[in-house]
This record gives sequence, structure tokens and C-alpha cells, in this order.
Amino acid sequence: MKTIQLFPLELRRLLQSRLTWLIVLLTVLSPLAGLILYKPASASTMLSIYLANPALAGGVGGGILFGLLTVFELDRAHRSRVAVLMDAVVSPLCMALVRLLALLAAALLTLIVTMLVWFPISWVLIGSVFGGTDYVLAYLLFMGLALPLSILAAASAYQMTRRADLSLVLFAAFAGLSLTIWTDHWQLCWLNPSVWALSDDFSNFRIFRSVAYMRLTWLAALAGIWTLSYLCVRQYGKGLLGSLARNMRQVYRPMISLLLLTCSGTAYAVQPMVDHSNPDESVMSFYDLPYLEGILCSGRTAQVYPNTTAGTVTGRATYQFQNTSGQAQTVAFGIQPGYTISSVQANGANVPFSVGDYQEYNEVMLEVTVPAEEAVELAVEYSGFPQENRNLSTMQGAAEISTEYLCLENAALAPRLLNVLPDEGMYPATVEVILPSSMMVIPFGTNEAEIVAEHEDGTSTWRYEDNGVGGILYAGDYIRQDIQTDGITIQFYYGRKHQAVMEEAGAVNAVKTVVDYCTEHYGPLSFSTGGTLKLIQSRVSGGGYASNGASLLDEADFTAANLRDSSKGAIPGEVMIHELVHQWWGLGNMFDSFDNTNPWSAEGLTVYTTYRIVKELYDEEYAQKHYVEQWQQAVDDYYLNFYVRNTEYLAGLPEEEQLQISNSLAYVRQYCEMPLKILKAQELVGGEEAMDQILNSLFNRELNWSYPYLTYQEFLDACGLTEEDLTLV
Amino acid sequence: MCKIFRYECKRLLWNKFFVGLLLVVLFYGWQVLNSVTILGVSHTAPFSPWSFGDYLSRMSPLLWIGALLFLTFFTSPKARRTAVLIDATQVVPRKYVLTRCAAALVGTGLLTLACLVEAAVFYGWYFGWFDWGTLLFPALVTLVPLLIFALGSGWILGSIKPWLVYSWMLIPFVCMALPLPKTLGIWDGSFFNEYPLTLGTLDPSFTMPVTVIMMQCILLAAGAALLFFHSGKNRGS
Repeated sequence: MKTIQLFPLELRRLLQSRLTWLIVLLTVLSPLAGLILYKPASASTMLSIYLANPALAGGVGGGILFGLLTVFELDRAHRSRVAVLMDAVVSPLCMALVRLLALLAAALLTLIVTMLVWFPISWVLIGSVFGGTDYVLAYLLFMGLALPLSILAAASAYQMTRRADLSLVLFAAFAGLSLTIWTDHWQLCWLNPSVWALSDDFSNFRIFRSVAYMRLTWLAALAGIWTLSYLCVRQYGKGLLGSLARNMRQVYRPMISLLLLTCSGTAYAVQPMVDHSNPDESVMSFYDLPYLEGILCSGRTAQVYPNTTAGTVTGRATYQFQNTSGQAQTVAFGIQPGYTISSVQANGANVPFSVGDYQEYNEVMLEVTVPAEEAVELAVEYSGFPQENRNLSTMQGAAEISTEYLCLENAALAPRLLNVLPDEGMYPATVEVILPSSMMVIPFGTNEAEIVAEHEDGTSTWRYEDNGVGGILYAGDYIRQDIQTDGITIQFYYGRKHQAVMEEAGAVNAVKTVVDYCTEHYGPLSFSTGGTLKLIQSRVSGGGYASNGASLLDEADFTAANLRDSSKGAIPGEVMIHELVHQWWGLGNMFDSFDNTNPWSAEGLTVYTTYRIVKELYDEEYAQKHYVEQWQQAVDDYYLNFYVRNTEYLAGLPEEEQLQISNSLAYVRQYCEMPLKILKAQELVGGEEAMDQILNSLFNRELNWSYPYLTYQEFLDACGLTEEDLTLV
Repeated sequence: MCKIFRYECKRLLWNKFFVGLLLVVLFYGWQVLNSVTILGVSHTAPFSPWSFGDYLSRMSPLLWIGALLFLTFFTSPKARRTAVLIDATQVVPRKYVLTRCAAALVGTGLLTLACLVEAAVFYGWYFGWFDWGTLLFPALVTLVPLLIFALGSGWILGSIKPWLVYSWMLIPFVCMALPLPKTLGIWDGSFFNEYPLTLGTLDPSFTMPVTVIMMQCILLAAGAALLFFHSGKNRGS
């Protein structure tokens, strides 16, 4: 009761302080730093630049300022030597609570003012892709929750130490750790959450959920620590331990602290956002499973029901097996680590199954015992919240599921069969997905989805036929534009909100130019797909991929910010160029299976060709600076790395650091070293034109169907060179 | 004066502030060593003078704050109130101020020593490397000017207004945010990352351009001069 009476008085006193208003003013201005100095969100989307960065800067700036204000305010009575008098009038415990509430109220007021001030500014800066939901959530989560966390941290430090100087040091170190050492740990960076991008064209709920989870985990932790420090509030002239002993007499107080700390610890340990994939990306043990003998898969189906409100997926997948072995067999599937398997039935009867602990490449293994019957239909029911790969934990957001966008890749769509061969070389699949009618379903590949049923609740059932054990599905608020080029129809899918930018950027012309370039230099694509190619704009993801009949275009390829940035040399869509080039280099039978240790892969030729396109069609200087010089720099950096030169020390490193270095090897060798070698080969064979002829002949070579892959030796032979000739010194 | 020195040292060091500060510095240092220094900088070993210098650069803001917080023992309003009593004693003002300064230096030195010992333990633990003599020069050239300047400038500012010392604590962070000239590269941490790459050799031995050495000397001289000036100007704070 006393607390409620004192709270308005304390808040009024706080708001009468000039220092408080200075802190409020500086906090309101702090998002400005996100436009100039502090830019943790590196993507070039408008929301990253003009919403995420200001909100994050506001969180960091405001958090630090309110932490300082907290120490200053809590020390006020002690500093003014009226603490004894105050303690005689009001219980120190009551006053600690009142001060905390007043500071939190001031922080809330500051947040509201900040949001009001920055709303019109953000609207003008972001332009047509501005959205109220993104704005409110970004400021609440990126900035707003930083303020109470800082207040709790600073107040805890002060109440435990009862020294302003030591509290400041503790708070500075705690904030400093978040801003420096813990930046790469998405759960630890309490002040500056790991936000690398916000999408302009699609929703951002997944990254908001991740930040909210991290913030709430810390909120529980710091509330627990604050409650503990509350027990340390000095009473009756006693010291730390004396006051602690006295304040603990009411058992509920330490119990609350313990409960909060336990909740936080549990939330930290069992976080649902990121999986536990093996950080060693050279290990692909799921691909190395031997195929079972005497059992074949003749087809599969999947019914998938994404919940676009909760961001979860429920599904039922069936598999038809021909088990001629006469004995039970253990079939392995790769499933999304965030999913739980509710039942597995073979021919209508429950069969035993187990889900392993080991995870790699965002999959965990499900093992099912298939009975010794000749024809078996296996039905797997699964549901859950898709988790993201922990090796990309600082770049979360890809597993977005909402009414605006979803992307379900392989095991996230349905359990992926690992160790059973197909019947007659095919895994025919029928996939059905139920989604809101406003969403367009786009299978990533040659197939077309069609609506087979419309429901009264505003959803539709889409169906498409596929082939293979996996599959990728995109859906969202897309529009489609068909582009005719030499013999190819490109179905260009992009977000509805992006239409104006696509038109202004001349995206259609850019796509045509790339296709024309590749066709002219290397020859036309040989299509088994009826001469169509899908080009699908994904949510901002920092990269892309391609498959037979489809390539990805990153949202960040064409943004209004890129259009304004003259330093980019007006080069449209470098990810798009790269992924389109993959239609020539890297699909089907072009390269042997992916091997991390082998520099010869689809990426070398693709990166080289991307460089050539950028150089010849757009900006030679830009190409030299952003391609050749960066390849050289990456190769030099790698081979000059102390641990690469002195491998005896590498073994002494923690596993995480060892893997970071070994993982970078694969990237450097394939994406940087090989393009440099091809560039060197180009010089040795007589220039670009000669190299184009060589590549043209390789692309159109007569295939040996027993081993149709393009090898490094074939490339060297075509160039008339040896491996030693292309050694980089 | 020895007695006063011992008393001031006890006042600065025998309290929970120093213990807390020491623990914070050690924890932060271990995080830096384990996350950043362990990878080495500019293609050099984690135990090279360059990587070690980078570690010290990352620790210097905390040491800077620590040094200035020691000064608040002498510049706070509470300390100022006792100045009247001290003025009435027969202590030679300059000697008294220098004694206090020496006590603050001891406190700062102990914190710095803790950082250095921590790094030495880290190098021994992970790499079995004990050639600590090679790290002496980078440690001296990085930390001594910085901390003497912190004490000198902090003392002057604290004698003007006690709160100025707290504002002065933000200087390292401002330096990190601003595009400083290369001669001040030690202040924003860029020197140890960038300079070895310009030397054109692998695992270069530790050298510094004359301009950087000059700048550090100027800082050292300025810090010492400010301390000397302050000690001659008045007693206490």
C-alpha cells in the first residue's frame, strides 16, 4: 500500500530532475546514432537501414543512459547524506521498489516519446515499404526492452555493492561484454540483439520472436538478480550479510528470486529458436548412410498445415515401401530439429521409432522400424516450431512463417528419406499445403502448384507433384511476371510490396541481360522443363541457391537504398546474377557430389562468371575491387593465418575456434581460390575471349553418361594447362 | 610520508571496490583472451606482441575507468570536505599530493598487473608459451602513457569539478567511435591490427613508427606534467 502511495511522488520527483530530462532527451535522440555511427544490421533493405539500426542504437544508447541514471538516482540519498533520515521515514526495501518502479515508468515514458518522435521520420525515410507493425515491434523489442534490462542491471549492482563507483564499473563491464565479446552469441548480447536484417517486402515475425525470447530470458534473469539484490538492501545499520539474513526471513522473497533465476536458466537452456547442428560443416554423415538392401521407396505424399499465426507447422507424410527383404528394416529420415513426431504407423498399425540426439545441417535423424511385409505404407505425423541452424544463429529470420511469407526447405516440409533407394530411379511425391487464400504457393523447381480446394475459413488447399526425397516450398504475397528471352520463359516471382522498386530498378531487364549473356557465351540451357525457369524473390537471407528449373533472388538484390547508392555502380542483383549463372554451372550432372575439401565445385565457375558479367555489363572498376581484390584478400588472409601455417597450435584451440578456421577453408577454396585460378587460366590461355570459347565447349561437351560430371582435369585439359600452372603464389 | 603512503594505499586497495574492480577486470580480460586474442591479430600468433597489444587496447578502457575511479577517492565532495583539516597540518603540499598520486598509481598498477598476469597464465595454459620478455615493450608503450595521462588529466579535472572525472571516463569510448589519425591508433585499437600488415613481412617483430612513439611520449609527458602542475598548485583536492 505504501509503495502505491509513494510511487506517484517518487515519479514526480524523478520527472522534476533536470538530469532525468537530459537522459530522456538523449535517449530520444539516440536512434540518430543508428543512421550515422552504429549500424549492426548490415543488410541493405530499407527497414534494416532506417528502422532496425536506429531502434538498436536507441536500445544501446538509451540502455546505457538509463543505467547511469539508475545508479545516480539510487545513490542520491546516500550522496546527499540523508539516507539515515530516509530510512527512518520509509522502509529501505519499500523505497528500493518505489525507485525501481519510478525509473521503469520514466523509461516507458521515454520509449513512448521516442516512438512518437521517430514515427514520422521513419515513415519518410523508409518510404512505401514502411509498416506500422514492424515499426512498433522493432522499437518495443530492439529499444524498449533494453531500458528495463539496464535499469534492473544497474539497480542490482548498486543494491549489492551500495557504491556508485563500483556499480558503474560493473554496469560498464556488463554492457561492454554485450557490445563486444558476446556480439556473436545471440542469447548473450542482452543490450544489442543479433539483428542483421529486416525484410521490406515480407513479414519479420521470426526475428522479432527471437529477440523477444532473448530479452525475456534476460528480463527473468535480471529480475531474479534484482530480487536477490533487493534482499541485500541495507537495513538497521547492518552490512551486506546482516541485511541479507534479515531480509530473507520472509521466505517468499528468496523463493521469487530463485524461481526467476530458474526460469531464466531453463529458458536459456531449452531455447526453441536455434538447433544444435554440428558446427563442423565438413561432416555430412546423414548423406553417408548406406542404402538398405531389399527395400525401395515407390512414392510419397505430404499434407502440410502451416499455422501462419503461431509460426508452426503440422504435417502428415506417407511413404510407400516395397520391402522384399522378408525382414524388418530400420528406415532413417532427416527431420527438422524443432519438430516432434506424434505417431508413426505402418499399414495402419503403430510401429516403434526413435529420434536421435545428433543434429547436422538443421536435421535430426528419425529411425523407424518398417515391418517385414512386402508393401508397406508408412505414415509419419509431425508438428512443431522450425528451428534455425545454429551455425547461422546471428542471422536468424529465415524460418519465417506468416500470412505474408513462408519458406519450408526439405526436412522442414516433410521428413526426408535418407537410406532407401527409389523405385525406378524416381521418388514421386504429391504435396498438399493449406494456406490463407491470399498466399501464392511456389514450389522451388520445375513443378507448378494449383488450388484444389477452397475453404470457408479463407484458406485454400494447394497441390503439386514433385520428385525426390526433399523439396523446397515458397509461399507468400507474390506477384508473377513472365519474361521472354532466347528460348526461355522466366517466371519472375516477387513480393507485391516490391513492385515499384523492381520497376524502378529495371529488374526485368537485368534478368534478361544475364540470361542473354550466358546464352551467348556458353550456349542455351537444355531444358527438360519445357523451357521455363522460375526466379523467386526470397526474404532477405544473405545469399541464395538454385536447382533444376529455379533460382533464387535475394530481396536485398533490389532495394530502394541500393538504387540510391551510386558507389554500387548501379549493379542490379548480384545474388540474382550468381544464382542465375548456376543454371549454367552447377546443376544436374554438371559437378560431382559436394565435397567440402575440393576447391573444384560449381561455385568457382559461377563466381568467375558473375565477375565477368559485372565487369563487362556494368562496372569494371567495381568488379576488380569487389571480386578480384576480395578473392585475393580472402586467399591471402587464409593462408597467412597463424593457425593454418602452424597447425600444431590448432589442436590446442577450443573446438569452436578450430571449426571456425576449418569451415572457412571450404569457403575460401571454393568461392575465392578457384575463381582466382580460373582468372589465372584466362590469362594463360590468351584472354577472356579464349576462356569463353573453352567454357562454351565444356558446357556443350558430349557427355559420358557413366560419369557425366565436369572434372577439374577436363577443365585443365581444355585449357591446355596443368595443375601446377594454376598454382597461386 | 611513508606512513601516509601506506595509509592511502590501504584506503584505496583494502576495500570491496578494489576487489570488485579486480574481479570485473579479470572476468572481462578472460572473455577477451578467450574470444578475440586466441585467434591472433593480423596473421600473427596469439602470443605475438601485436595480439598482446590488441588485448591491452581492448582492456585499456576498463583500466582507464579504474584509474579515474581511484581518483574519485581524492576528488569527491567528501574528500574535499576533509581538505580543510589536512590543510591545517604541517604536511608539505607537493609531497602530500605526490604521495596520494603514488597510491593511485599503485592501485592502477595492480590492476594492470592483474591483466598482464592473466594474459601470461592464458598463454602458458593454452600454448605452453612463456617468453614474456618480448611482451614487455608493447605493455609499457601502450599502458604507461595512457594511465599516467588518465591520472594527470583526471586529477586536474576532478579538482575543477568532481563530476568531470566521471565524464572523462567516456573518452576511450569516444575515441573508438571517432575516426582518429593513425598516430593515435593505440587509442582506438587500430594500430595493432593494421600496422603489422603494412610491414610486408610475415610475423613481423614488434616495431612502432616514430610518430606513434612520439605521440605516446607526448601523452606520458603531458600526464606527468599535469600531475606535477597539480601537485604544485594546491594540496589535496
